[in-house]
Amino acid sequence: MHEPETLGDVLAKRGVSRRGFLKYCATLASLMALPPSVAAQMADKLTRATRQSVIYLSFQECTGCLESLSRTHSPTLEGLLFDLISLDYQETLLAAAGHAAEEARANAMRANSGKFVLMVDGAIPLKDGGVYSTIAGRTNIEILKEAVPHAAAVIAVGTCSSFGGLPHANPNPTGAVSVGTLMEKGLIERKPLINVSGCPPIPVVISGVVAHFLTLGTLPELDGYGRPKVFFGDTIHDRCYRRPFYDQGKFAKTFDDEGARNGWCLYELGCKGPTTYNACATAKWNGGVSFPIESGHGCLGCSEPDFWDAGSFYAPLPAPRAPLSAAAGAAIAVGVAAGAAVGLAGLYKRKKAQQAHTKLTVDDLETEKKP
Amino acid sequence: MSLRDIAVRVEASPASRIGGIRPILHEIRTLLAALIDTGRGGSIDLRSLPLSPADFEALDAALGEGEVRATIRALGETRVTETAIHGVWRVTHCNDGGEAVADLIEVCDAPEILKTHAADARVGLAKLRTRLEPG
Amino acid sequence: MTGVELLNWARGPGLQIALVVFIVGVAIRFIEMWLLGKSPDFAEARGSAAAGGWRTLFTRSLPMPGALKRAPLVFLGGYVFHIGFFITFLFYAPHILFLRAVTGFSWPALPAYLIDVIGLVSIAALVAVLVHRLTDPVRRFLSRTGDYVAWAATFLPLLTGYFAYHRLVTDYTTMLALHVLSFELLLVLIPLTKLMHTFTFAVSRWYNGAIAGRKGVKV
Ligand code: SF4
Repeated sequence: MHEPETLGDVLAKRGVSRRGFLKYCATLASLMALPPSVAAQMADKLTRATRQSVIYLSFQECTGCLESLSRTHSPTLEGLLFDLISLDYQETLLAAAGHAAEEARANAMRANSGKFVLMVDGAIPLKDGGVYSTIAGRTNIEILKEAVPHAAAVIAVGTCSSFGGLPHANPNPTGAVSVGTLMEKGLIERKPLINVSGCPPIPVVISGVVAHFLTLGTLPELDGYGRPKVFFGDTIHDRCYRRPFYDQGKFAKTFDDEGARNGWCLYELGCKGPTTYNACATAKWNGGVSFPIESGHGCLGCSEPDFWDAGSFYAPLPAPRAPLSAAAGAAIAVGVAAGAAVGLAGLYKRKKAQQAHTKLTVDDLETEKKP
Repeated sequence: MSLRDIAVRVEASPASRIGGIRPILHEIRTLLAALIDTGRGGSIDLRSLPLSPADFEALDAALGEGEVRATIRALGETRVTETAIHGVWRVTHCNDGGEAVADLIEVCDAPEILKTHAADARVGLAKLRTRLEPG
Repeated sequence: MTGVELLNWARGPGLQIALVVFIVGVAIRFIEMWLLGKSPDFAEARGSAAAGGWRTLFTRSLPMPGALKRAPLVFLGGYVFHIGFFITFLFYAPHILFLRAVTGFSWPALPAYLIDVIGLVSIAALVAVLVHRLTDPVRRFLSRTGDYVAWAATFLPLLTGYFAYHRLVTDYTTMLALHVLSFELLLVLIPLTKLMHTFTFAVSRWYNGAIAGRKGVKV
């Protein structure tokens, strides 16, 4: 067998100079909130590493995540993700179909057993034996059960595989759950799991995780939801360039008023930035063009669990999730009725007490004296 | 067509000034002093700071334009300019759509990305050799 | 349960339950009071009850002369936390958005950093009055569980709000959920505890003056 190709070889073959790669590492470092000075060391380490084998499985999903990852064609800066990894199986991108595709997966898994990173997008339905999503006649959960034991680590790509996402949203007709839930329930083997949530997730977050794995040999530190802290450590609100306006109480009231034109805070228009942990405000989208808030729309909170069930995207965060008037109306009616009942009962009691009351007479006192 | 061709420009209205550039200038001063004393400067990642378009303009105005202006073409353009403050560089990495993906202030003799890496030099040597080969 | 789930519950069913208990409870107490009424006063009126009532409603809300000297801590602490509580509750931008969503009314907010300071001062005042209650033998003797419950119910929304604002203790989402829940607890406890004075203070102050006013006495 020949020497495994290093990332440096791959880059050289594709005509990517070290300057280009240094630039890539500089952008990665910037995203991972590492001091800019580490870029050079990172570039050095990575060029000597071998590419990470990746098997990518898609379940109940919309392909938006894959779209987000593969949107750019190489060799571009964002496209370099595909140089960091060797994507050994991805159904949608695979030329083969049918039995050949199934075989390709089995082969890829066998060849890289114990070493590959399993990327999963989409939620996994459990209701009715998982029949709501099947590939080649096998349920998602079956496929996952088979793949996970051979993986070195699992990356849940997108909010669906991280937290259940849209399939999981109320009333969750297919009983969809996340990869993490499956591990918690013991339905699949426990492996190191990284949730890269977002609907879709930011592609460079995945490059960042892979780069971290390749340079340091470890997985990045995770937050309480299993998300890499370097990208999900701050809320959108913490890093939002409109934040000073929030603090000064300057809010856009509609999408086309003076405040909106001046770039004031979108909190009143439903921005969920304060409760959303993600890197959009720094990593940005579409190759760094902007992010939703910069384009004048509030954050939807797409990287948080159950964001679909958090009420209207356009209702401000403090607003109740559902209208209260019906409940309040009923409460007033009940309160008035109950108050009347309690009050009348009190009146009745008072009257009874008054009736039972007999006046004290001299005779009473007299009799009391006699022992 | 790239996103650049879309005729939407972010206007830096004075009302969107956030006024956070003074601390950056102070940090640059500290780094520059360190470069002179120890030979080691440092860099500031501008994208990690919440700056509005107006702030960027204010920062550029405060630093001014210096003697060096270089363009690197590697996976999209990278613009390297020395500011009017010697030793303080602006390095802007763009993707091939022309959009800035990283924006740094580097305080150093010359930014790392301007230098030729040994690996690239080897590639160059190999190229030159083939060209010199009697053919 | 995740922070988001907790927040979703607090902003949804939790809020509904709390609001229903609050409205039903307050309605019962008011209607009961109103139905039981006062025993009729057959004496000839020597002055206007209403005038006296309105006057004391106002005058009894002003500092009592000499109170500052007699019990400076209770006096200052009491005023500071009552006023601070209401300023933070009514003039913090997100709260106004909540109230607007519930009532349809809105008004201008105060800057967040000002609310921050006022909130902190209110927290300090509440802690001070608690310490005083615990260390002063008479106050301690007079305190019942209900008093401590009422104190905690007032204190928690301020504390969790402060924590959430400064991203302390736990992540913002969870803290925000706890903040909303603590407010809901306060709503539920108002009709059940002496916190009912939020509303009845006006009634009793009015009566104090009205009774005297009818007798032609100014108080
Ligand atoms: S726009 Fe959203 S994220 Fe930005 S400051 Fe306002 S509320 Fe926070």
